[in-house]
Amino acid sequence: MVGILLVSHSSKIAQGTLELVEQMTKGKVRIDIAAGTADNRLGTDAGMIKQKIEKIHSGDGVLVLVDLGSAVMSTELAIEKLDESLRSTTLIADAPFVEGAVVAALEASFGKSLEEVKKLTEDVKKYSKLG
Amino acid sequence: MVNSRELIQILTEINKKLAENKEYLTQLDSAIGDADHGINMSKGFKAVVDRISQMQDKDCGSILKTTGMTLVSTVGGASGPLYGTAFMRAGQVVGSKTELNFDDFVSLLEAALEGIKLRGKAQKGEKTIVDSLEPAVEAIKEHKKQGEAIALKRAVEAAKEGMEYTKKIIARKGRASYLGERSLGHQDPGATSCYLMLKTMVDWITENKGL
Amino acid sequence: MIQRNVKISNKLGLHARPAAEFVEKANTFKSRISVEKDGKKVNAKSIIEILTLGAKYGCSIKITAEGEDEAEAVEALAKLLS
Repeated sequence: MVGILLVSHSSKIAQGTLELVEQMTKGKVRIDIAAGTADNRLGTDAGMIKQKIEKIHSGDGVLVLVDLGSAVMSTELAIEKLDESLRSTTLIADAPFVEGAVVAALEASFGKSLEEVKKLTEDVKKYSKLG
Repeated sequence: MVNSRELIQILTEINKKLAENKEYLTQLDSAIGDADHGINMSKGFKAVVDRISQMQDKDCGSILKTTGMTLVSTVGGASGPLYGTAFMRAGQVVGSKTELNFDDFVSLLEAALEGIKLRGKAQKGEKTIVDSLEPAVEAIKEHKKQGEAIALKRAVEAAKEGMEYTKKIIARKGRASYLGERSLGHQDPGATSCYLMLKTMVDWITENKGL
Repeated sequence: MIQRNVKISNKLGLHARPAAEFVEKANTFKSRISVEKDGKKVNAKSIIEILTLGAKYGCSIKITAEGEDEAEAVEALAKLLS
């Protein structure tokens, strides 16, 4: 099953989003967060991101959700530092953070592949929130 | 030109300069960013100094790589992955050397610049670190034949010019890019911290190496 | 192809957890399954499409399934909503 990593500058945002998502997936999916710095400031830490990817990777891949700007750079740096086998199966979703996390986790829980989960997560951008 | 022990001294001096300029950098960052550049850089380099102070007997590559990895995990903002990548690439290029000469210095600056441009997907003219680092690298290469002292001096001057030039352009990257035209007239904090680091390095070499 | 009109009896409507359960169930079947509300038709196996359908408590939706297990699919999904 694809693992989901939530990378945010804010641990509060990440924790809150995790809570929201787990309400729906009820522990079925390996989801974790990498948010804030080690001393609890706003920001991202590529070292922490790398560790978490390694922790939740099951062989089916990991999809990473990111919030703003430098979360992308930190995640890209973390992925570059991974072992070859993990590197090719860790992808970043170009999707809004909360909505993307919900869709990613649910689609992962349905057993879909990494590429499918990524595509469905990124499709979120197509839908209007206001219906 | 510089050995491992001296490299550590230079990085320690950089930490000092960044701490002294913490408020200034933060002020620049409040105008067009999230007001934490000074604090972040200061925390980052303080952690760097803690980490490398006992690395006197290690090679320059390890010292630079450790600097990069430390910044990546302690800075927090965009400068973390950016400067982190810069120092790690510089470390890779320098490898197991325990003594760096002028050519090594130029190579490591080139590697640092390349790293930042790749990581940040930025070019000159977008109001970023690149705007002071790229002119510095170009200047040092251009003036190499005039001797080390002149080349280093020109590099710092070019960095300063590049940094000041950022006031005239609109931000195309990072938090500042959300401000669009309102970013005009403000100096980029990243270009500023980069200039400060370069100036500190060159000042130290000039003062301590009789250049 | 089998179709059935179902009235949503879940107080939450087809949102959040019930939506997740619905989509999860739909994904266990081989048939192509769609849900229609007020002329808007979505894929029952896609969580984002179901969430954007905005199917509230008391509204009527049409479930359509096409494939080898279409009968069980419609039956199971209708049951979930009642």
